[in-house]
Amino acid sequence: MIFERPLLENVLTLLVIVPLVGLIPLLAFIRDERAAKQVALVTTFVELVVSLVMLAQFRVGEAGFQMVESVLWLPSLGIRYELGVDGISVFLVVLTTLLTFVSVLYSSAGVIKHRVGEFMAVFLLLEVGMVGVFLALDLFLFYVFFELMLVPMYLIIGIWGGTRRIYATLKFVLFTLAGSLLMLVAIVAVYLASGEPGARTLSFQELVSGGTRFSPTFQFWAFFAFALAFAIKLPMVPFHTWLPDAHVEAPTAGSIVLAGVLLKAGGYGLLRFALPLFPLGAQAWLPIIILLSVVAILYGAAVSTVQKDLKKLVAYSSVAHMGFVTLGLFVLNSQGGVGAVLQMINHGLVTGALFLFVGIQYERTHRRLIADLGGLANQWPLYTTFFGIFLLASLGLPGLNGFVGEFLVLVGAFRLEGAVSGAVWGAAAAIGVILAAVYLLWMFQRVMYGPVREAYKALPDLSPVEVACAAPLLALTVLLGVFPQPVIRVIEPSLDRMLEIAAAASAVAAR
Amino acid sequence: MIGLDAALGEERAEPWLPWIVIAGLAAALYAPVLYPASGLFFGGFVSVDAFAGFFRLVFIVLAALTALIAPPYLGRKRVPAGEFYGVVLFSTVGAMTIALATDLITLFVGLELVSIPTYVLAGLQRRDRWSNEAALKYFLLGAFSSALLLYGFAWLLGISGSTELSAIAAAVGRAGIADPAVVVALALVTAGLGFKAAVVPFHQWTPDAYDGAPTPSTAFMSVAPKAAAFAAILRVMASALGPLQLDWSLVFALLALVTMTGGNVVALVQTNVKRMLAYSSIAHTGYILSGVAAMAAGASAGAAVLFYVFAYGIMNLGAFASLIYVDLEGTRGATLDELNGLWTRHAAGALSFTIFLISLTGIPVTIGFLAKFLLIQPVLDAGYVWLAVAIALNAALAAFYYLRVVVHMFMYDPDEKAPRIERARVLSLSLGGIAILTILLGILPDPIYSFALDAAALVVIR
Repeated sequence: MIFERPLLENVLTLLVIVPLVGLIPLLAFIRDERAAKQVALVTTFVELVVSLVMLAQFRVGEAGFQMVESVLWLPSLGIRYELGVDGISVFLVVLTTLLTFVSVLYSSAGVIKHRVGEFMAVFLLLEVGMVGVFLALDLFLFYVFFELMLVPMYLIIGIWGGTRRIYATLKFVLFTLAGSLLMLVAIVAVYLASGEPGARTLSFQELVSGGTRFSPTFQFWAFFAFALAFAIKLPMVPFHTWLPDAHVEAPTAGSIVLAGVLLKAGGYGLLRFALPLFPLGAQAWLPIIILLSVVAILYGAAVSTVQKDLKKLVAYSSVAHMGFVTLGLFVLNSQGGVGAVLQMINHGLVTGALFLFVGIQYERTHRRLIADLGGLANQWPLYTTFFGIFLLASLGLPGLNGFVGEFLVLVGAFRLEGAVSGAVWGAAAAIGVILAAVYLLWMFQRVMYGPVREAYKALPDLSPVEVACAAPLLALTVLLGVFPQPVIRVIEPSLDRMLEIAAAASAVAAR
Repeated sequence: MIGLDAALGEERAEPWLPWIVIAGLAAALYAPVLYPASGLFFGGFVSVDAFAGFFRLVFIVLAALTALIAPPYLGRKRVPAGEFYGVVLFSTVGAMTIALATDLITLFVGLELVSIPTYVLAGLQRRDRWSNEAALKYFLLGAFSSALLLYGFAWLLGISGSTELSAIAAAVGRAGIADPAVVVALALVTAGLGFKAAVVPFHQWTPDAYDGAPTPSTAFMSVAPKAAAFAAILRVMASALGPLQLDWSLVFALLALVTMTGGNVVALVQTNVKRMLAYSSIAHTGYILSGVAAMAAGASAGAAVLFYVFAYGIMNLGAFASLIYVDLEGTRGATLDELNGLWTRHAAGALSFTIFLISLTGIPVTIGFLAKFLLIQPVLDAGYVWLAVAIALNAALAAFYYLRVVVHMFMYDPDEKAPRIERARVLSLSLGGIAILTILLGILPDPIYSFALDAAALVVIR
């Protein structure tokens, strides 16, 4: 984007390694809270800088993978250590490093009170998995990173979570694991179907070169297994039940990365692997996915409206927002796809921020029930301003980032052709946008306005650290809302390439 | 191969025993390097080849690790250490004999040489009634299964007129499955070997024997004799009964399904971790067995079985050995509640235990994950899609009870009645070493996997 020549060689491997390197001093000082916080802050900051360097040396307008690193990892199996970024993943990587840094910064300001060293160590381990997921170009490596996110998040919810944390964390792990283990079977099946013994591969670039090699029946089931794993992670509507529990019990930092990054791994997996590898399978399952997406949008919005718990409300609103992502991906056109990717980035920024603010509020009042709150606007002007802007972004106000993604998805949906006209789906999804305004504004009114409780009168407004956490998110929210075009220019070629790969593959298979 | 056995029984210098054992085992591992001989020996009774070499590595590693983890337990329970190590070594020799066998007689001698010392291992804590019960149950059912197996071998001898595996293969191939004698022999051999490997429905002895035996014995018993049983299964089923592969494959696939599901479902409801691990080891037998069922896929199936046996060996031994930290009366293993807050009480122990449990679940980056990845390959290749799906679902089911242990170690606080925690440096170092190995081989498995591929090439069904 800025540098003509790469500033850093092997920048992607560096992104994977930096948190691991940070783990070494962290484990040495694990009992020393101050040192542990400092090491974690420095590490995640360095990681953020490295990811920005990666962004700076990204060449805009190129559709293919850049900065690719490829080494034979398991020679006897032909499995490669292969990393690369394209327009789809490049922002997701930066989003990950930014949200991780914000989470660590917020957590180090005294929110995490026990086992601080362990918390930071687990967070760094989580970052390895999250960054790796968006970089891996070999299915095996992708699976390794995908699962590497699991155990740290399990510990984060289970150790530093709320009262029902153990139920929530086990539910989260078992749901996710059931899906991903079936995906593992499908990955092995892909491996076996990729060629003769000795020439087998799981490298994405090799798998998609020269059209698909998988039969329609194979694609039908392989897509099912992949989509199931990602649908659980995303989560799509009948598999979403783990999400509210996990979010409510997770500590604030856990919620931020769970909503901001982990859910994106599901949407990213669908777009990067499930769609281009099994286009015929995607075609076969498409009506169901579109239907479930619209159901998710409406159901998520409806359920959010009646929530009593602030955190649960934001969690269910995530279900609705993720419905836009899957809808945009599976209308299979450029607008929808770009909108879906934007929606992932926007949701990461905005919902991450909303969870941050719910957490900040909870730290002060120790209440999460909407009925127990009220009148905070008078007490906390700064808080109210920040929270209000993120809220408006979340409901899709033009001029803020949420609008751009949802608008493009709706445009894509209206262009969908099929037995049921795209206009029906588009209109239904648009109702979801209106509902979002209803539940978010109503919540804002009940929490922020009205008479203030005596107990809350002495509570302070945002601290400098909290402003520092929220400011970059706010800046990006406004920036992406006003100038989405540069970002779209990066995403679009790569997204079109994915759709072309899918189209070419179905053409080959149809012959 | 191991001439040190005799000396060990007499020694009273207990602290030195494990190191003498390890030195002996290292010498045994080194010996074939000095005398690189391969081929048939003793009139064709044994074959020194890569297959035998792979299992020799497995058994020596497992015996050496057992010697490293045992001392704290043996010391505090006053289990006679000399006998313990001696018996472990005898069992190891037997296991290697199985891997070398090309003849039913050698194979059977090897199997008995594995089994009889393990009966002793189970009952070594003489004053403990659970230990006695374990030994008795193990002995009775073990003897019964040996008799079944021997009877099956007799039928094979009757069919072929020979005890050589290759001659049997030829004769069985001629007779075909239509011959009722072949069916009887096949059933008896399957049942007999199934007992040894703890395949459902021949597994009844396992939970009590593993639960009641002294914990270091359990750690050894749950891995080495099982690995030996799979060496025998591969030799007999692939080499001698290979021509009938099409006929027994489906039976093995069904047994695998029943075994993994049965083991996991019962493990779910256990509150004692030692007993839970006993059932989990049955489930792992099921996973390995599905690799045997997929022998039609060629060398990758055998290699997957061998790799899984190795992976299972180190991670399961590590998991049982982690229970040695908790000092309880008799041979009892810790309950879930007794593990509460182990992380705050003994961080290194809790960490390595967690790594073993994650590996047993099959989550990357551990050897257990790679073992499952490698195993699913031949199973799919052989056309058993349902079995591969069953493996995946079972692994998710198993995650529930493995991770519950992690919950108790990390997410609960210890109460006043929490048992004493052993602080033995050698135990922590060796378990830490095994844990690092579990991760390291999960990232770079090629040395072991290539070896397994070479070894498996010798038991491929053609």
